[in-house]
Amino acid sequence: MTDLLRVRDLSTRFFTEEGQINAVENVSFTVEAGSVLGVVGESGSGKSVTGLSLIDLVESPGKITSGEIWYNNADLAERVEGDQPEAVDGDFVDLRRLSAAERRSLRGSAFSMIFQDPMSSFNPSITVGEQIAEAAEVQRRASANPRSTRSRTQGYGLGKMLLDGVLPDRSYTSEESWDRAVELLERVGIPDPAERAEEYPHQFSGGMLQRAMIAQALAGDPDLLVADEPTTALDVTIQAQILDLLADLQETMEMSVVLITHNLGVIARVADRVSVMYAGEVVERGTLRDVFDDPVHPYTKGLLGSVPDIDQPGERLEPIPGNVPDLVDANMPDRCYFADRCPKAMTDCLTRPPEYEVSDGHRARCVLAEREYSEADAVPDERLAGPTDDGAGPNDGSRAPDESTAPDAEVSDD
Amino acid sequence: MTDPLVTVDGLEKYYYENDTLLDRLTGAEPEAVRAVDGVSFDVREGETLGVVGESGCGKSTLAETLMRLREPTGGSVTFDGDPVFELAGDDMDAFRRRAQVMFQDPFSSLDPRMTAGEIITEPLAIHGVGTGAERRERAETLLEEVGLSAEQIDRYPHEFSGGQRQRIGFARALAIDPEFIVLDEPVSALDVSVQAQVLNLLADMQAERDLTYLFIAHDLSVVRHISDRVAVMYLGEIVEIGPTEEIFENPQHPYTKALLESVPRADTDERDRTVETIRGDVPSPRNPPSGCSFRTRCPELIQPPWLDLPQAAFREIGEFRTRIENGDIDVDLRWEGVGDPDREDRAAFVDSLYEEAFDTGLPAEEEETVREAIRALADGDRETAAATLRERYRSPCEAIDPALPAGDHPSACLLNEQPEDVETAREEWEADHDAPKAGAASE
Ligand code: SF4
Ligand code: SF4
Repeated sequence: MTDLLRVRDLSTRFFTEEGQINAVENVSFTVEAGSVLGVVGESGSGKSVTGLSLIDLVESPGKITSGEIWYNNADLAERVEGDQPEAVDGDFVDLRRLSAAERRSLRGSAFSMIFQDPMSSFNPSITVGEQIAEAAEVQRRASANPRSTRSRTQGYGLGKMLLDGVLPDRSYTSEESWDRAVELLERVGIPDPAERAEEYPHQFSGGMLQRAMIAQALAGDPDLLVADEPTTALDVTIQAQILDLLADLQETMEMSVVLITHNLGVIARVADRVSVMYAGEVVERGTLRDVFDDPVHPYTKGLLGSVPDIDQPGERLEPIPGNVPDLVDANMPDRCYFADRCPKAMTDCLTRPPEYEVSDGHRARCVLAEREYSEADAVPDERLAGPTDDGAGPNDGSRAPDESTAPDAEVSDD
Repeated sequence: MTDPLVTVDGLEKYYYENDTLLDRLTGAEPEAVRAVDGVSFDVREGETLGVVGESGCGKSTLAETLMRLREPTGGSVTFDGDPVFELAGDDMDAFRRRAQVMFQDPFSSLDPRMTAGEIITEPLAIHGVGTGAERRERAETLLEEVGLSAEQIDRYPHEFSGGQRQRIGFARALAIDPEFIVLDEPVSALDVSVQAQVLNLLADMQAERDLTYLFIAHDLSVVRHISDRVAVMYLGEIVEIGPTEEIFENPQHPYTKALLESVPRADTDERDRTVETIRGDVPSPRNPPSGCSFRTRCPELIQPPWLDLPQAAFREIGEFRTRIENGDIDVDLRWEGVGDPDREDRAAFVDSLYEEAFDTGLPAEEEETVREAIRALADGDRETAAATLRERYRSPCEAIDPALPAGDHPSACLLNEQPEDVETAREEWEADHDAPKAGAASE
């Protein structure tokens, strides 16, 4: 399989009043063409910021501080080669070395994104059809002239991302782009799409609006769709519908998808490969089978052991003790970030472990990839910070920048 | 079997909209939102009864009404023999001590300037239990019991992580030594690793203190893990209730089946598992469907006695019928779509809509009936179109409201065992409705 995206040593930091926060720390992974990469992690693992970093949507006070994002696109490579030969390697282009304008022009057509909350992606006072038509129109014009892209839906999540400008007047969409919008709505499974296109976002149910957002994201026929917790706010019966839809679209449109979620079931349902994130790092990656059936990293194991199994309820869950670290640079230890919670921590773990290769394509940032656990080398608890049972670390209450989008906070009913 | 500690009988909580003075002056009819629509069940002493359902199914309103945090509009709740809605004075006070509730975010309603210790002891203070020093000591013990440390007593909520806050909320619920605790989505805002810690804590405390739990959640895996019995709610009603193992291994109600099937399993075989997703959304509790509330999405919708179609075909017709009844199809737009603004070529209109709506080949009679309805629609007569389809394709599930019978594992579905009166009503309905002639209703 060819690679669509190769991410190397990507770091994204936030420079806040509390100090520098290392939201994404030296992250590497590959997205294969036409496949789904699942990125799984808990709040504060850096998974959402990783997604935003991929498509250059990190906002101040955040900043991508280092790393390379190689994107496979022969046409782009050819175009860039003359001016910037150092940004090109065969058919791959390092997006980080392109100008901001060049990167922006790739939005929508190369990369697109959907979010947890579709409401924030739509302007409530414009019909759904018009908003999707705008995205289609902008894509059409953008391919001709990257600087002409202006729209009224800016300021609304996805619209803002795709359009990044201000529309001059209301006659912006053409008949052609309207037809395309109706076609897209039909493609995402909305019945009577021509009728629904005339309606406003509030007339749509949550599941329908999620579909409409997907339609909007597909307007530019992207190579890569980043889906950040796309089903977290939905009920489980609707979630099943949307996951089916995503899998179907991915296949028929030959897109790649980066699916970011905290839900291991969602990962298992759609992902081909998986990256497990913890404290800003990818701690384990490989095929779905590598990670679910043959995990090496104790965090991966702990995560899998924490989920109650709906088919085989066990007597007792085996939770991971403690809490995630706060990612403030000054507080990050100079040892394995998981050591404080790890049941297998050894003296070897007191230096930061690199990413080891477990087998072809299966990597883990843990010394256990190389050696067996040995009681004799266990680290005495006092070498590690804080008590272990969900205990008292001084920074337990603080939040990493992407936490707001992570846990499923949707649930109160009525 | 142990005795019920709590008995809920026909509990109802309706809200009324359009009920302002202005609405009354302008004559707008108050509109009932049936959040909880006649719910009956027992919670037995020492058990955990899980209540599961999707958003808007009324499970949280059920919790609040049962605890008398909201006034019911009907029905009764009995706690250890006492009628909860009739209690007053000391008796009410006693109920408030014996029954506690813990919410998803126990701090959203609390003063952020209160310390952990103050939060935990507030119920004691309200009920005038102990001296200040005794209460503080109690808080310290409780903090240790829920897995925190006594030194954290003077910290503020924002200094704790989500999991720790949930532990404090639980300590508060335990402070006054209740027998019964309603847990409303207590772990759903937590990360999975922390969620597992809190679930273990809840189980340990229950064993230690003989607590009875009503555990409300939307996460079926969690509910299965923690519950002895489970009630499944849909649109304000319980559609199935029974022992956990029975509900998960042998679900009866089509909604329960769909719900269980929809949950993605964290397992490498999950990719290949076929999931029959149910279509559409939950209808609004402002305007619940007639008959069975699940019928608009039910994959097993019962056909009238005169039909015997493949279920897929019956569903397709049903969905088409819904689109017409809801006015989802804009006739003007469709005429434009077939490129015939003068509306002369009715056959083209009919063909285009028919082909769009039906993937499965219908038997000739049914195809003719559907086409007849579309012809009426093409003429702008939506009423006739809807009537044509209703005559021939109405399901007993639209007319008869299934009940939740008594028993160990009842299900509120006409396919399952139903009480006498429901069975009789269904027979009468079937006798009253003869097979209409196919494709001839409006001639
Ligand atoms: S490197 Fe050591 S401490 Fe870190 S996860 Fe592996 S075994 Fe545990
Ligand atoms: S009564 Fe009819 S609609 Fe309701 S669940 Fe049973 S089969 Fe489905």
